[in-house]
Amino acid sequence: MDLLGQVANGFAVALTPVNLLYCFIGVFIGTLVGVLPGIGPISAMSLLLPVTLSGTPESGIIMMAGIYYGSMYGGSTTSILVNIPGEATSVVTCLDGHQMAKQGRAGPALGIAAFGSFIAGTAAVVGLMVIAPFLAGFAVAFGPAEMFSLMILGLVIVTFLTQGSMLKSLLMASAGVVLGLIGLDSITAQPRLTFDRIELYDGIGLVPVVMGLFGVAEVLTNIEQGVKRTITNTKISNLLPNKEDWQRSAGPIGRGTVLGFFLGIIPGGGAVIAAFASYALEKRISKTPERFGKGAIEGVAGPEAANNSAAGGAFIPLLTLGIPPNVVMALLLGAFVIHNIQPGPLLMVQRPDLFWGVITSMYIGNVMLLVLNLPLIGMWVQLLRLPYNILFPMILLFTVIGVFASSNNVFDLYVMLAFGLIGYLTRKLGYEAAPLVLAFVLGAIMENKLRTALIISAGDLTTFFKKPISAICLAIAAIMLLMPLIPQLRRKREAVALEDGNN
Amino acid sequence: MKSSGLRINNAELWGGAIWFAISLFVLEQGRRLGLGTVNAPGMGFMMFWLGIVMAALSLGIAVQAIKHEGPSVRALWTDTRWVKTLIVVVTFGLYGYAFISLGFLLSTIPLMLVLLRAIDPVRWSIAIPLAFGAPILVWWVLERLLQIQLPTGIFEIG
Amino acid sequence: MKRTALALLSAAIFAVIAVPASAQNFPTKPISLIVPWPAGGSTDIAMRAIAEAASKHLGQPVVVDNRAGGSGTVGPAQMAATAKPDGYTIAQIPITIFRLPLMQKTTWDADKDFTYIAHLTGYTFGVTVRADSEFKTWADVVKFAKANPGKVTYATPGSGTSLHIGMEQIAARDGIKVTQVPFKGGAETNAAVLGGHTMLQVESSGWKALVDSGQLRLLMIWTANPSPNYPNVPTLRQLGYPFVFDSPFGIAGPKGMDPKIVATIHDAFKKAVDDPQVKATLAKYDMVVNYKNTADYVKFVKEVTETESKVVDMLGLKKKD
Repeated sequence: MDLLGQVANGFAVALTPVNLLYCFIGVFIGTLVGVLPGIGPISAMSLLLPVTLSGTPESGIIMMAGIYYGSMYGGSTTSILVNIPGEATSVVTCLDGHQMAKQGRAGPALGIAAFGSFIAGTAAVVGLMVIAPFLAGFAVAFGPAEMFSLMILGLVIVTFLTQGSMLKSLLMASAGVVLGLIGLDSITAQPRLTFDRIELYDGIGLVPVVMGLFGVAEVLTNIEQGVKRTITNTKISNLLPNKEDWQRSAGPIGRGTVLGFFLGIIPGGGAVIAAFASYALEKRISKTPERFGKGAIEGVAGPEAANNSAAGGAFIPLLTLGIPPNVVMALLLGAFVIHNIQPGPLLMVQRPDLFWGVITSMYIGNVMLLVLNLPLIGMWVQLLRLPYNILFPMILLFTVIGVFASSNNVFDLYVMLAFGLIGYLTRKLGYEAAPLVLAFVLGAIMENKLRTALIISAGDLTTFFKKPISAICLAIAAIMLLMPLIPQLRRKREAVALEDGNN
Repeated sequence: MKSSGLRINNAELWGGAIWFAISLFVLEQGRRLGLGTVNAPGMGFMMFWLGIVMAALSLGIAVQAIKHEGPSVRALWTDTRWVKTLIVVVTFGLYGYAFISLGFLLSTIPLMLVLLRAIDPVRWSIAIPLAFGAPILVWWVLERLLQIQLPTGIFEIG
Repeated sequence: MKRTALALLSAAIFAVIAVPASAQNFPTKPISLIVPWPAGGSTDIAMRAIAEAASKHLGQPVVVDNRAGGSGTVGPAQMAATAKPDGYTIAQIPITIFRLPLMQKTTWDADKDFTYIAHLTGYTFGVTVRADSEFKTWADVVKFAKANPGKVTYATPGSGTSLHIGMEQIAARDGIKVTQVPFKGGAETNAAVLGGHTMLQVESSGWKALVDSGQLRLLMIWTANPSPNYPNVPTLRQLGYPFVFDSPFGIAGPKGMDPKIVATIHDAFKKAVDDPQVKATLAKYDMVVNYKNTADYVKFVKEVTETESKVVDMLGLKKKD
């Protein structure tokens, strides 16, 4: 078959010694920048873009892919170990990954994140080869109205999956959207909620918000509670996932892969929503949903698989339409252009060697990552053996560095401290931080899409219900919002009845 | 536990009240930024409606708090070591203040010393090498390897 | 994810506080170039090619930082407000920087808040529809719009861009009413017209690959002369409109930059636009080098502001105060 021949050709490109070396360098740098919070894959890739130009386009792109995958994995490492997500896609990994670490199961958590990513990455590459041409239309089917509704669904999903009161989660999500709107308006370039502080014209940075809400708040809460749950006391047993872990994770990885692949195609917040959606799905269909948020391995496996296959799906609009759905894809596109290669629908026909070289390099990147990181798991786990009174100051130092390295701005240190306090207080009152973070990431895009959709429909609000994809998203969101109300109402009524009976 | 009733010392109720105030603020900001029309929504359109949604949600929380008696504000902090938390927060605030003027190394080393000794005192023989070693290592990695410049402060150390 | 991209840029911003800027050995670290359009559009691709060539001459990487929004003004406006004039933060300056202040209240003053460095190139604008659209020619669009006022939607990379203003001038001349849908840049407008969310796309040549592959149809272009790539596509003039829109652009830094640093950057970008590889990339997108040195650029800014003022006034879009 022609397709297989081309794929083999792609592997031949990716497996030359020089390309393997580039791949290793990429994965290594990627892991490093992923573990260092604040320095994300985008800055590393932008910086290294010129370096990649000295070699062939294939080598350069293989290295880029390696950085991307490496940093994704590095981001989940910090999520699991110290509850600091490297970027928005690894926020969900904090929920159960860090709980697992607290229970002395950091090894399996890290292991399943690596294996899950690897499996999903592989599946995504296969998906890309087989069905990419048929999915070109899928990406552009999402116009402003559809994207708005999808994001609404994403937010409802995340409020649905968080523990505790739905009202509180919705409130946190709304607050997140408002925070996301701070800065210059995307349509008129007017400042909003900036209070004449020029630091706010850029909007609030994601890094200080996330580090504050997760890292700093975690430390503050733990300091206050004292030594109740130190990791040192727990015996750290097996480093890799055991048979039971695998049995629990197999389904989530499979479902996460499919979900991530399709959501990744959609431009905008696809990959982030994919991770959250996968978590919600697993919690929903689990027989033991109460384990989620308390160290369920499914809650690590699913989202990690989803965000990795989303990265694969993201290639579809780039390679079939020349529309990069996220910044990382755009950087790859930039690399093509500088080598005088026209990105877009004709790439697959004109330069099949390059097209398949890129795709197989993603696969190679995943293999490398697995090989490189599995031996490191033991080392990462050792880190948790540090007594908490040494670990906590180190985590705080880590957050300071992360925030400062990402913006070089002292203002962001204060933002982080403020969000640390907010995170600490809201935790006390049972408000979850995850909805706020997702809403914060999506807020500005969502608002822009709402306004654009209304302009297109000439102010017709029913446009959101008339378009099928949008209507489906909103319908699912409505069901999710209403469903928990019913049993809750019933339970409440019963509780009241019981009390009355006792009186 | 009392079954219901309005008690001022109810943390949940306070939570709802604070959120309500925030939502009014958001609503007002949205109104000021301009709502536009429905076929050309203005800058404050989304904010205004979000403010209304938030106000409704926070009222809902307040109502639940009155009906179902949340913990008192005091109860949230009893049996906790809140003094230590406070020390960390204040130290951190001061640190942000000193960061630029003293430079990274001169502000971070004392920060680490305070944190290592304040939370649950680490032995001096460990605390001192760690407080000096960790920031210097970080400084070296960032400044030398990654070429990210850290503030040097008025004494230009670092 | 977008926010992490700010990392480098801001690194550049703050480093000045840490280390006194020295014009002699400039640059000593990566320079951040703000491109106020989403990644993947024609401007982004062209700027990336230019940045890459310029970094060879500067000896430091020029890192492109995409900050889309506000018709290409959010990025430069943020730079003007927050960046240090040390040469480590520069931005692409689209024409909207001069035009938007005439239409509404803005946070910047085009005369005072920037240090103009060099003028680089201009665009080829074109109107495209999806291949299966009922509009075969521009005349079909006009006919439809006359029968259905306001029903024709067109995607632009932002309000007040040359695409928006140009389209409104064309519509005013024909006495038709069309509805603008502002997006953030070429990658988004391509998706909007491909997905059938808007009827037309009015954008610079980011549509090229899609037109070449037959997924979009190019109805007209707005340059003075027909494009060598599309000799059969009529220009505005050929269609009888007395207009040419090409919206040239250059680069600038925050106000108060050291002239020596300005000269260093200027020289590197001048060499970059002369680079044959850059020229080849530009040609792919039908862009033509339109170089002006620092002094001429400053003069040009004044002229543009005056002509724009008239156009904006004529269309009734002028700021009311």
